[in-house]
Amino acid sequence: MKHRIVLTVCIALFALGLIGSAVVLLMPKKSTVVIRRDSEVLYTFNLSTAPDQTLVIPYGDSSNTVEIRDGAVRVKEAECPDKTCVNMGWLRSSAMPIVCLPNHLIIEFADADRGVDAISE
Amino acid sequence: MKARRIAELAVLTAVALIIFIIELQIPNPFPIPGIKLGLANIVTVYAVYRYRAHEVAMIVAVRLLLGSIFGGNITALIYSASGAVLCLLGMLLLRRIIDERHLWTASVLGAVLHNTGQMAAALAVTQTPGLLAYYPFLLVSGCLAGAFTGLCVQFMLPRLNKFLEKKKE
Repeated sequence: MKHRIVLTVCIALFALGLIGSAVVLLMPKKSTVVIRRDSEVLYTFNLSTAPDQTLVIPYGDSSNTVEIRDGAVRVKEAECPDKTCVNMGWLRSSAMPIVCLPNHLIIEFADADRGVDAISE
Repeated sequence: MKARRIAELAVLTAVALIIFIIELQIPNPFPIPGIKLGLANIVTVYAVYRYRAHEVAMIVAVRLLLGSIFGGNITALIYSASGAVLCLLGMLLLRRIIDERHLWTASVLGAVLHNTGQMAAALAVTQTPGLLAYYPFLLVSGCLAGAFTGLCVQFMLPRLNKFLEKKKE
């Protein structure tokens, strides 16, 4: 009956995943956005006041083009092979950052009090 | 190692690579890094149940290295490699517990372990705890993809065994 236990573990993992996904998707937006390369902060924005703009963020030979429009942020273009960050669309959940693993780029919501070096306020 | 054994391992590796490269051509509808069908792991799961531990490790290592070169995404190697190591260790233990008739559950756990390894590597490289938010999605996709590849192997095994026996006669 060992496989029964394994089957139960499988089902439990699946259920856990479903619940976790729902929790992540329901996390609300915040107004402060941070763009980072690994742990180094490149940009901080307040989305409610930031003007519409596009930023080209180079990484070696590669680059990501980040667009800020109507108080939302996304990766518009990327030179990485998989384009996952582009396909993720606009940043929606505070629990789920947009990441470009090949270029080590992370775009996520942050708490406002940490955004001391905001460049566009 | 016998020449026949080496040839078998080489054929399996080649099949895995072909599946891997064909899968690269299928557009991925899920915009989350790490989510994949992982069809090439059909070969891995089969090998886990048919070959010795070091032989499986050889197949997977060559597949990973050549796959990342052919696929043109060498930076992703660190994620897939750490996933594969964890997955292999787990599945080699699981094959002692789970017999071939329930093989697909071993495959599910293997897939989840693969995603766990990937996630750990991504956390270590980017130092971003926020990435953990992807983990639930990886769990769901890992369970589904693992069940699919596991069932593929389960349906394939009896046919392949029949075929191999005929060859030997």
